[in-house]
Amino acid sequence: MNWAATPLLIPLLTALLLLLGRPGVGRRYVAACSALLQLGVALYLLSRTYAGETLVLPVGRWAAPFGIVLVMDTLSAVMVCLASLIALASLLYGFAESPVHLEHPLRLPLMQFLLLGINLSFCTGDLFNLFVGFEIMLIASYALLTLEADDWDIKQAYPYVAINLVGSALFLCAAGLAYGLFGTLNFADIALRSATMGADPRVQTLAMLLLVVFGIKAGLFPLYYWLPNSYPTLPYPLAALYAGMLTKVGVYVLARVFGTVLPHDLHFAHQGLAVLAGFTMVIAVLGALSRQFIRGILSFHILSQIGFMVLAIGFFTPLAFAAAIFYIIHHIIVKASLFLIGGVAAELNGSDNLARGGHLWRHAPWLGVLFLAQALSLAGLPPLSGFWGKYVILVVGFEQGRYLLVLAALVASLLTLMSMLKIWNATFWGGNAHTPLRLESPRWRPMTCVIAALTLLSLGIGLGAEGVMQIALQAAAQVLDQQGYAAAVFSAMGKGTLP
Amino acid sequence: MQLETAILVGVLFACGTYLILQRSFVQILFGFVILSNAANLLVLSMAGLPDGKTPPIVGEPAAPMVDPLPQALILTAIVIGFGVIAYLVLLLYRLFLDQRTTNAAELYAETEADSHE
Repeated sequence: MNWAATPLLIPLLTALLLLLGRPGVGRRYVAACSALLQLGVALYLLSRTYAGETLVLPVGRWAAPFGIVLVMDTLSAVMVCLASLIALASLLYGFAESPVHLEHPLRLPLMQFLLLGINLSFCTGDLFNLFVGFEIMLIASYALLTLEADDWDIKQAYPYVAINLVGSALFLCAAGLAYGLFGTLNFADIALRSATMGADPRVQTLAMLLLVVFGIKAGLFPLYYWLPNSYPTLPYPLAALYAGMLTKVGVYVLARVFGTVLPHDLHFAHQGLAVLAGFTMVIAVLGALSRQFIRGILSFHILSQIGFMVLAIGFFTPLAFAAAIFYIIHHIIVKASLFLIGGVAAELNGSDNLARGGHLWRHAPWLGVLFLAQALSLAGLPPLSGFWGKYVILVVGFEQGRYLLVLAALVASLLTLMSMLKIWNATFWGGNAHTPLRLESPRWRPMTCVIAALTLLSLGIGLGAEGVMQIALQAAAQVLDQQGYAAAVFSAMGKGTLP
Repeated sequence: MQLETAILVGVLFACGTYLILQRSFVQILFGFVILSNAANLLVLSMAGLPDGKTPPIVGEPAAPMVDPLPQALILTAIVIGFGVIAYLVLLLYRLFLDQRTTNAAELYAETEADSHE
């Protein structure tokens, strides 16, 4: 049995099953079991790919350059693993947050379709299926964004939809141009055919176009304005899922396309990535400082941290790629749990506006401890998980003599800490709560349990950084090994002759 | 043929972009329709002329054949485009119902993100 398709089949079948069923407790069990199963499969895939195997599934047994291939290497497996983990956490948190009868009947199926799109983006081995994966993900995300929206939220959803529609059209053009240029859309085939074309201006143009397309998805500096207003309109568990996964799909694809697919001597594009990342880090964190509600601050932070990851990709060494992957692993878990903490704080205070909350520390000290751990981790304090990725990125920056970018990264970290302190001061430590805390609400304790599990995991990543770094190093080596990738894809079983 | 197609794609992109930047919802909607069709046409034109290309069939082709792959691609892209446009129509209609306006500039005139609780 070839396992590469299981991350697609599980959410697809679950979504259909959930659509058949009536809203109720049973559906929640199905969704949770499916997420658990997916996590198990993803961990199994990770163990196999970490052992050095690249799982390739030629769909319909058509050989690689003609048929569709699904490819699962260490980075894909890591990302699938994280996606199922965050989906599980967000499902469980959602179950704790809202009673069954208040749940929108389409929320659970749409979350499964969202996962399907995300996983397809991670598994696919050709540019057009990447487009299809993105579209499945985006349409599900549009629907979830507007599913439970009030009239204010709808106004924020429109820019998200509009900008991503333009991005999709550009992506389609990029895929068409890539086909015209290389005569193929298969990643491995493009990698082989473009290996000697590095300095060709057509390849450079295509690279810039892809940078813009995936820059929109990832939320790079001039292209991110759709994000900080639309994410805060989501319900908290969905906001955690979006914040954790969606922009990281963009970062994953940037790593995949610039590492595996396009030739490695596109210095101009790499330089562009690094510079844009520098701007993203600093400007987005300034945006975070300007916001007055928790979800707004956290949404701007996503962008700032995207800057760190893309900066590492722009440095373009195996070590920098490993740092980016480590940072992705850390960031997805920490960011999702911060959004969930924001949800509990809003539940207790009745609002996530900083001016209206306060004094949570006195009544819910454990929530405060969890927030502190994750906030300091986000800012990058040494024993916590955020430190290691940043440290390696800065070391690579110093080695390459990019002092300005390193300085920008340090300033962004400091400002991150400041804006986290803003939440801490207004919500946990001081504040002027007019309304009494809703401590009698039975829901916030199980919600906190989910957050505690995620926080323990991120502490584990910080303390066991060496092991995680090993995985990241292997994933980075595989992403940058174009010949190995192509060999794995072309040697997969299929009919027809191999080139 | 290549040049004419290229010009057509360029004109469609220009029209689509111009319409998307307008204020009326209907114009914006048509802008997106035109933009997605322009992208489809671009993919189709990437098939190029069939001269000197061998189709992926067994045996000798009886006549010049077109590259089937871009056609398969735009078939998928058209279906996806339909779905997205249908969603956009509903979104804009919902916006009109909620805000009683079809003017985008009016809609976002006094937006302040921080005013939301």
